[in-house]
Amino acid sequence: MKSPLYNRRQSIRSLAAGGLLLPGVLSEMMQGSTMPADPLAPIAPHFPAKAKRVIFLFMTGGVSHVDTFDPKPFLKQNHGKSSTSEKRRGKNFYKGTDWEFRRYGKSGTEVSDLFPQMGAMMDDIGVIRSMVNINGDHFGATIGIHTGSATFNRPSMGSWVSYGLGTVNRNLPSFVVIAPELPYAGGQVWGSDFLPVLHQGTRIVPGPEPISNINRRSVSPDVQRTELNMVDYFNRQHLTGREDDTDLSARIQSFETAFGMQREAPEAFDITKESDATLKLYGIDRSTTRGFGWQCLVGRRLAERGVRFVELISGGTSIDYNWDAHAKMANYNRLAKDVDQPIAGLLRDLKSRGMLDDTVVVWTTEFGRSPTVPDPTAEGRGHHAKTYCSWVAGGGFKGGVTYGESDEIGDSIASNPVSVHDLQATVLNQLGLDHTRLTYRHAGRDYRLTDVHGQIVKPLLA
Amino acid sequence: MNAFEKVVNRLLDSRQYAERWGRHWLDVVRYADTAGDAGDFPIPEAYKYRNYVIDSFAKDKPYNQFVREQIAGDLLPFKDDGQRWEQTIGTGYLAISRRIGVSPRGERHITIEDTIDNFGKTFLGLSIGCARCHDHKFDPIPTADYYSIYGIFDSSVYPFNGEEHLPYRADFVYRIGKEKASEILSPYEKEYEVWKKLERKKFAEYQEFQDRRIDTPGRTREVVWKELTELREKMRPYAEKFPALETAYAMSEGSPHDVNIQKMGTPSMKGEIAPRGYLQILGGQKLPAEEKGSGRRELADWVASDANPLTARVMVNRIWHYHFGKGMVTSTSDFGVRGLAPSNAPLLDYLASEFMAQGWSVKAMHRMILLSDTYRRSSADIAANSAKDPQNDFLWRQNRRRLDAESINDGIRLLSGTLDFSIGGRHPMANERTYFFRQHEPFTEMYQNNLRTVYGMQGRIQKNPYLDLFDGPDGNLPLSERKQTTTSLQALFLMNSKFLHEQSSTIAERLLPAAQGTPARVEWAYERLLNQRARPQDIAKAEEFLAVLRNQYQSAGCTAGCEQSVWGSYLRSILSSNAFLYVD
Repeated sequence: MKSPLYNRRQSIRSLAAGGLLLPGVLSEMMQGSTMPADPLAPIAPHFPAKAKRVIFLFMTGGVSHVDTFDPKPFLKQNHGKSSTSEKRRGKNFYKGTDWEFRRYGKSGTEVSDLFPQMGAMMDDIGVIRSMVNINGDHFGATIGIHTGSATFNRPSMGSWVSYGLGTVNRNLPSFVVIAPELPYAGGQVWGSDFLPVLHQGTRIVPGPEPISNINRRSVSPDVQRTELNMVDYFNRQHLTGREDDTDLSARIQSFETAFGMQREAPEAFDITKESDATLKLYGIDRSTTRGFGWQCLVGRRLAERGVRFVELISGGTSIDYNWDAHAKMANYNRLAKDVDQPIAGLLRDLKSRGMLDDTVVVWTTEFGRSPTVPDPTAEGRGHHAKTYCSWVAGGGFKGGVTYGESDEIGDSIASNPVSVHDLQATVLNQLGLDHTRLTYRHAGRDYRLTDVHGQIVKPLLA
Repeated sequence: MNAFEKVVNRLLDSRQYAERWGRHWLDVVRYADTAGDAGDFPIPEAYKYRNYVIDSFAKDKPYNQFVREQIAGDLLPFKDDGQRWEQTIGTGYLAISRRIGVSPRGERHITIEDTIDNFGKTFLGLSIGCARCHDHKFDPIPTADYYSIYGIFDSSVYPFNGEEHLPYRADFVYRIGKEKASEILSPYEKEYEVWKKLERKKFAEYQEFQDRRIDTPGRTREVVWKELTELREKMRPYAEKFPALETAYAMSEGSPHDVNIQKMGTPSMKGEIAPRGYLQILGGQKLPAEEKGSGRRELADWVASDANPLTARVMVNRIWHYHFGKGMVTSTSDFGVRGLAPSNAPLLDYLASEFMAQGWSVKAMHRMILLSDTYRRSSADIAANSAKDPQNDFLWRQNRRRLDAESINDGIRLLSGTLDFSIGGRHPMANERTYFFRQHEPFTEMYQNNLRTVYGMQGRIQKNPYLDLFDGPDGNLPLSERKQTTTSLQALFLMNSKFLHEQSSTIAERLLPAAQGTPARVEWAYERLLNQRARPQDIAKAEEFLAVLRNQYQSAGCTAGCEQSVWGSYLRSILSSNAFLYVD
């Protein structure tokens, strides 16, 4: 990471060595062409972008498509009957949904009663009814939708976006994941893998210290100030005779950035100054410190402050607290209630602030759930990666549309499949990134988020 | 022998040398204490391979022997049972290959893919993995070669850790041998088998709630789950009753066979048979017709042969990389066409031939490098040189490097006197017959100890936030070169972490009685923390800072132990500075 010497820096360093510059000024001046390129500095996209940032809503466990965004009257009419399809030998019975579907908005997009609030936002949403994942297990499907690979460790989409675009606010990480619980595959979901670790998702756990070590531990601000002055003193002494080493100056600067984070991040997580009206949108109050409403509001606050990729995760790996309803679809009543209003509120809030135009919002999950069950009395559904639903909104996506179709029972794709790579390619496209050009050289070859796959889903674009 | 040589020898003889260089190897082979499947089953025996690696560096095991043992240690000649067992543990290298997904047994080809990928990179500096689906685009490795090697591993038995749908391990290697072990264990197995059946039955009953409505009064999913948990508790004493036979997470021989090429890397799309053998570019040897084994024995010899200088070149380059911060081939696991050409090919060849000539002794290589003029150069800048060779490709100076995650952590604990230099053993994992992990309840323990970081717990699903923060290994991806990132989250760790605050306070506690008066204390701190002499101006500056701190602590209401806090602040600042974090 050493760059050639420049005269400008030589003069700056002589000033610095003489103690004529304050530390802040030093790093500011060295920020020019002579500093190592800050790997998180904003980078121009490949082509003009529709969107600047992403809010990625991920529901762990696999949300049933036929109970939410993909109505299948056939299933209901034939509920409990043995499946006649040749593909489904023996013990397979149609299972209709327990919820009613309704048409919403001008577009008339159908959504079940699990999500009435999201339903009300359908004119701003493009529903994909033909998602396909590359793997049918939680582990593989979860990393599949995040990293494009179900079998190997690869960087997460947020890491790729951070790598591709950098960030505009160095006082916050570029990729933040608010995950009260670990999802399937754990930290691999936001891992940067072979990309430099500063592109890794920073996990936020709601609580007193959302970002690790963000709270001042020194007894008083004064003491901390002196400590930082001392660090700076030692660093400047050390820099003498080593001025050519850009890593050293980068680290000096990292303390300033860290101090900025310590100052600004708590404010980003503090919702107490939000108006009553805003809090109401998310269905929370000023004292709320957890829950999906809190996550969504904090997600908006982070996006507003320049975080490039915000991921909000609903649920963990425990079946009773995620969307993996093998045993009881009725669990969805509670789960849906927890996320419906917050997500709708997030869209409304972004819209009213003019942020929806340049913020991509993605709602997704690792797979859907099986339309047929092994016994007519089954109350739950199995995994189903062959077809499921996701939706996109804002950031140059078309609202009030549906794209792709599953077959009569929601078992396979009937038209226009959208693979996880297609979704990834399309989201990158909205950010001005060409998924075939966003590459990283590792172990002798150029890697991509979408590997050798990925088609931009043009009909979803405004 | 001059003083420098004496120091080099003393350090190379220390256990700490082996722990550090063992760690480098563990990076490359993506060592972990768990399997990597969706439940991330723990492997209590994995540590034996970790310690085997460290021991091998400690005793300067010839590298060609080290290579052979890791591929086929169970099949090599031995002079006593100790050696036989050690070599067997060496095959832990293959055994730790990544399991993935909910049912890794069903994804055996992915585990073998991970083996082959790592095998190629680690020993040969080649990405063979590409050839799984197609002839390698850049290096002359046809798909047939991939499956020639695949057949060898497919003819071997990987130990099975257990997985969500079959949480009972199998095929671990017993020191006394399979037959004797089963003789001793069979009465216990018989008894335990009954419990296993009950457990599986109960689990199936629990899962039935997924398939149909169960109206039997009192039979809810929660009730059955509770019964299942209770049953597992009841089984525990029976699991713990088994005689503790010595086992290893190691390989054994299976039924030898050649495999079909899998078109596009898909097992169901069978192509032609690929007879087991070696890569064509490296000789293309085939197994002799009369061969009765998997072929690992031959593979080990092909890789570790004096006739194959690539193996030596790759290792010598790794050693060079760790001494200088970059290898002559900077992509240390990629010597292929797409890797970068060596900065000094004749030197690399010379060192490789010396390496072999000196009996593949790693320590001899260290001595050669450490005693060289090149290694002993200062890292100071020389403007004229830097104008000609700004990247320092020709090593006109030493490269300055940031301490890695382990060195920061171990170094600070060394200073505070809280680092325990004992050799790490098994992590405190529960009895290996009592694992019922699932994707819904994966194993996520992060055991803590006071030993060197290399002996810490390394899971595959649960990331270690500290190691992540400072570019450490994650046990999934082979890490041939540590990155050296600078992030504000690292600075936050240095400013605000409990670790740094506690440690600096403990160092202050040692400092206060050890030296009296500010000048002596500052000298103490410079000498121990920075290996430097404090200059008068450093002492004067310290007086200034300490005075300010005393006032500030007082204003903050400090009444007791204030001097320790003041010095704690001072020391913490040194530990957070570049002077501590970088090695010139």
